[in-house]
Amino acid sequence: MATRIWPVMKLATKVTIAGGAVYVAYDSGLLGNSEQGSEALRKAKAVIPPAMEEWMKYFGVEAQLPTIPKIEFSPVDAWNSGVQWTISNLSEAPTKATEYTSQGLQYLKDLTK
Amino acid sequence: MFSMSEKELGKKWDRCLADGAIKLGTGLGLGIVFSVLFFKRHTWPISLGSGAGLGMAYANCQNNLRSHYMLHRGDKEQ
Repeated sequence: MATRIWPVMKLATKVTIAGGAVYVAYDSGLLGNSEQGSEALRKAKAVIPPAMEEWMKYFGVEAQLPTIPKIEFSPVDAWNSGVQWTISNLSEAPTKATEYTSQGLQYLKDLTK
Repeated sequence: MFSMSEKELGKKWDRCLADGAIKLGTGLGLGIVFSVLFFKRHTWPISLGSGAGLGMAYANCQNNLRSHYMLHRGDKEQ
């Protein structure tokens, strides 16, 4: 009787764990629309430092974690400035090329004098 | 106060990226759970989960960016 119940028990445990994981993901709004997702992210960010402190105390490590720097990097701004830099350099490239060539030729002429 | 439309678009894109990262992570996690529990640690549930997560994020993003041009039911004026 026990040999027949054991596989069923195993399956039931696995289904419970998997179902619980899916339910937790659904309940915390991770599978919803983008506002729920960013809400969950903010909650997680707020919870992490106290949790880290608890863990540090538990393990007896009293090191001070460096504060996470506020990342002010905006991909859109960076992309825009990158595009502007590339295009302006491309537009100046012919002029600069002629300048450098003439400078180089002048230098060679000076060498041969 | 007025909100600048180019900033709104930037905010929408930021939310899209954050949402994509969250859903990718969630899909990956659930895929790992299912792979370990039911599918003998094969790789395909993990890829399926991450792909599904990315797809959900894409659909959300699409809806968000299109919602500006759609008429919503509450906008009907008498």
